[in-house]
Amino acid sequence: MVDNSKHASSFRDPSGYIFTEEGVIKRAIFPIYFKQYEALTTSGFFDSLFINKLLIPHSEKSKTGDKIVIQPDHIPFISYPYEWSFNMYKEAALLTLKLQKYSLEKGFSLKDATAFNIAFHEGKAIFIDTLSFDFYQENSPWRAYKQFITHFLGPLVLAHYHGAQSLKLMSNFIDGIPIKMLASMLPFKTKMNPFLYSNIHLLAKFEDKHNEDYKGESKASALSKKGQLNIIQSLYDYIKKLSLKEHSEWGNYYDKTNYSTDAFVEKSAIINSWITNLNTKTLIDVGGNDGTFVRKITTDLQQALVCDIDNNAVDFNYKAIRENKESFITPFVLDVLNPSAAIGFQNKERDSFINRMKDFTPDVTLALAVIHHMSLSGNVTFEMSAQFFASFSKHLVIEFPKRNDSWVQRLLSSKVDFKDYFDWYSLENFETAYAIYFEVIEKKSIANSERVMYLLKPKDVK
Amino acid sequence: MHFLYFDPGLGAMIVQAVVAAVAGVVLFSKGLMYKIKTLLGFSKNQEEEMFDDIEIKDQDTENKQ
Repeated sequence: MVDNSKHASSFRDPSGYIFTEEGVIKRAIFPIYFKQYEALTTSGFFDSLFINKLLIPHSEKSKTGDKIVIQPDHIPFISYPYEWSFNMYKEAALLTLKLQKYSLEKGFSLKDATAFNIAFHEGKAIFIDTLSFDFYQENSPWRAYKQFITHFLGPLVLAHYHGAQSLKLMSNFIDGIPIKMLASMLPFKTKMNPFLYSNIHLLAKFEDKHNEDYKGESKASALSKKGQLNIIQSLYDYIKKLSLKEHSEWGNYYDKTNYSTDAFVEKSAIINSWITNLNTKTLIDVGGNDGTFVRKITTDLQQALVCDIDNNAVDFNYKAIRENKESFITPFVLDVLNPSAAIGFQNKERDSFINRMKDFTPDVTLALAVIHHMSLSGNVTFEMSAQFFASFSKHLVIEFPKRNDSWVQRLLSSKVDFKDYFDWYSLENFETAYAIYFEVIEKKSIANSERVMYLLKPKDVK
Repeated sequence: MHFLYFDPGLGAMIVQAVVAAVAGVVLFSKGLMYKIKTLLGFSKNQEEEMFDDIEIKDQDTENKQ
């Protein structure tokens, strides 16, 4: 096997590694992990988690004395913790705790608890690191405890006190928010709370005290299984009840737009007919808010990615997905003006938004009511946005609000003296710039509105 | 056997004894309050919650595909 197919993020755990073979993701397991793998398989532990849809199912492909190869189910698109909404983050944290409790009951324990072990697939969080389970050692503390705090509890508590934007910190701290910094960012009153005091402030103190013990003089104290289960249960109870303080503004978004009901219906009818004619299976809605337009699509989609800059809108979408038990929508937070970068060692562990999009290659990209924000709030020229959309789209459905649109007027007037600079924001300039990268397949104006819809196909330009 | 491929944090290993004790007290007192409230009839109807309980059901062989 060619070793350079090994996934760039799969080097920390010596139990095995992930690789790609003919476009299919597989996992190799080394003899060092054979005992655990056999025990997890034969005891029915894996099966139980598969049935409960908590761990990504896999099938065994080959088995030799020095390597076992398994193939996990395919996940079309992986979103990262810094792209999750608040409740998505909560679900990921609760899933990790659930798995640790179940593991302890069955004589296993999670050896790590990174947020990157979780993906969102078919409408819910699922654990994807099959080799994270190890044997439980009687009376030993949870090795992944600190990781759980810095990857899950920390970001969630920060989001509670400082807003969901705090979750984005994870894009810089790939191994969790540093515990000392985390403690310092929390308000003083959290020291009065026994749960937060012990799990964050005291942990930070202990870590600080022992981090210079290079000789290994201090010894980790014993912790009964009952004690560890108490920690897990109290973390679960606390996180389950955690909410955001900030008030969401997405809610009345569609009331604020200047869409009459008729125009709204017409817009979704146009989208629907284009989507159907293109026989669309996969799409991305850039700036999809709470998924309203994707839900109006009548064709059966396999996978719809719906992203928005507003964590609350994504969260509302996620709640709707859970309520309606929808499995084809994957929501995530995306700022088109600053999409997630590639991070980690050699900038290869976690892929950039653009690269993941190129792999996903959606049949259709929807950019509804986005262009005026990109152009007027972000100062992104039409040519730049055209180039951006052309880089990953097979087809682009884009809505252009003309200069007289009230939302455009609002954005323009907020520019005050700088307003004149945006004289270039016109339908003619938009069409000219987009013609460099796209050919127009269809163009339709929405009656009783200042908006025009385009169906575009990228040309072969680089 | 443990694979020590990341530092679990020595302080974090030691502090867990204290965290567990605090968690024990918190869980016990919450359980007690719940019992008292139920006895006195204060317990409100459980609202529909977004996330379920921590328990994972064991594999049910009969339901297995």
